[in-house]
Amino acid sequence: MGHAKILIVDDELIMRESLAGWLQRDGHETDTAASGEEALEKVKDTRFDILLVDIKMEGMSGLDVLKQVKENDPDVAVVMITAYGSIASAIEAMKNGAYDYLLKPFDPNELGVIIEKIIEHQAQRRETLFLREQYKDRTRFESMIGQSEALQKIFDLIEDVASTDSTVLITGETGTGKGLAARAIHTQSARCLGPFVVVNCGAFPEHLLESELFGYQKGAFTDAKTTKKGRLELAHGGTLFLDEIGTISMRMQIDLLRVLEDRIFYRVGGTQPIEADFRVIAATNRNIEQAIKEGAFREDFFYRLNVISFTMPPLREHKEDIPLLAEHFLRRFTQETNKPIDQVSREAMDEMMLYDWPGNVRELENAIERAVVVAKGRRILPQDLPIFRPEYRTPPANKSLQEMERAHLLTVLKENEWNILKSARILGIDRSTLYNKIRRYRIRKPS
Amino acid sequence: MGPSELTIVISPIGDLGLDGAFLAWVGTEVQKVFGFPTQVVPLLDEADLVPDPLRGQVHSTPILEKLAALLPSPAIKVLAITRVDLFIPVLTHVYGEAQLGGKACIISTYRLEEGICINASPKTYQCRILKEAIHELGHTFNLRHCPEHTCIMHYCRSIRDVDRKLERLCRYCRILLEDEIKRQDNS
Repeated sequence: MGHAKILIVDDELIMRESLAGWLQRDGHETDTAASGEEALEKVKDTRFDILLVDIKMEGMSGLDVLKQVKENDPDVAVVMITAYGSIASAIEAMKNGAYDYLLKPFDPNELGVIIEKIIEHQAQRRETLFLREQYKDRTRFESMIGQSEALQKIFDLIEDVASTDSTVLITGETGTGKGLAARAIHTQSARCLGPFVVVNCGAFPEHLLESELFGYQKGAFTDAKTTKKGRLELAHGGTLFLDEIGTISMRMQIDLLRVLEDRIFYRVGGTQPIEADFRVIAATNRNIEQAIKEGAFREDFFYRLNVISFTMPPLREHKEDIPLLAEHFLRRFTQETNKPIDQVSREAMDEMMLYDWPGNVRELENAIERAVVVAKGRRILPQDLPIFRPEYRTPPANKSLQEMERAHLLTVLKENEWNILKSARILGIDRSTLYNKIRRYRIRKPS
Repeated sequence: MGPSELTIVISPIGDLGLDGAFLAWVGTEVQKVFGFPTQVVPLLDEADLVPDPLRGQVHSTPILEKLAALLPSPAIKVLAITRVDLFIPVLTHVYGEAQLGGKACIISTYRLEEGICINASPKTYQCRILKEAIHELGHTFNLRHCPEHTCIMHYCRSIRDVDRKLERLCRYCRILLEDEIKRQDNS
């Protein structure tokens, strides 16, 4: 069984603590909230796989928590906890998207079975999404785009790393292109004619990951009708890319450490050692050093992976690449959809430059894809972008004063339909100062 | 056993209906798995286990706190064994409970008699107790449930699964246990 990140929401301390303790022994990561309000705060900051929510609580009810959580994240599984006699509310919760409900006190097996079912279900969904992403990567994002200093450094690094056969660890936020960097290393390496085998470690529950990586012998378990080669074997002569390596269990780390040391392994249920020659590239968006401190990641495994490592920069640190990337995606999606869109308008570009892109290049790609679909004219306008909504705007704590000034000038001018006198009055400056600032910041009125 | 030698305390609570040789055997087996000598020291009496008035069972978590506080030096862990039925509030019952990475654990023999006649199959019954004991002690060494069906740290859905698993750790859990003992030595 895989492990999940679980939030327990119950206003009774004893219930929270006993449930958390029980789930931790099963290897799950748990957090607790004493009220619906606290739960919603925690969900804002952390992504949980499962929420166990008591229906009857002081203040916000479990049902309200369910509705709000589901509205923001339909993928999270919510299991309602209810006392005997409030089954009607549990059924109401199921109608509102709860995964299941448990009657308090529940049999330990019942809880285990539900958690296991959720983990399997979520893993299957992740695998489907991953395959879709992989397909997208192959078909439309085969090259890395960027002229910024940050990306040029990465290109140089990739070239240097490709000429070696060492294990590589690529870190970086989601959507920064860790997979593309891994593929680029492979295609520029001496192994380029061999296979590039991708394993998304986060997409499989532990037992499935084991058979996926190592393969299995006919009869190893009930469904093993034939012998199947694992991805380690399939990577022979090429590169094995282990994505989301930070999510694998300690047990799997022990197995993979042994493989990295000897390049010898056994299929599940097999007794014959199999030798395979492949290069390993691993990627993670987790802070592994922190995970080691917390005892969730083995130090020896980390050092074995971390022979060469580099970090993909987040898009907010190389915003100068946004116009080039936007143009690249625009070309692709207009070709795919046959829509006659020529360019991204200056105002839309301004919006994109101001936005922080927490989902990085992948978020930008999705934003342009959506904009191409919804755009009515020949240009992408701000309102075509999903980021052009107040709730998408992040507090600009990392902006320079100049960036903030430019953005504010633009907002005031737009809201006053480019009436200079009115805008200057609101800004508390005279007209000539406003003109000077417009010139300095190269602000242009849309035609 | 020297005075400064680290030990694991096996602490029967009240009369277990088992002979003294049984606890000595548990001690030997525990030492084989964890590598620490054991000693039998009763720390609590059955009167200390007050049943919950509504459920008639004993809430195990507060007992663990009491046991940890009573742990004599130089003992590092305590395993208590009782005949009473244990529970934690969200669950109908538990076979045992442990402080994950902590000092104390407790097991109950109450539900381990299921499907057997103790007098007819004393060995099966004793093996079940031993397996639960090692399992809960494993948690105090920070070991989590293991997917390996034969491993002592495997979480069993039924008493038949308990009978099927072995009295030892799988190689993964053995490595994790060694790591944990090393970590505790260093800290």
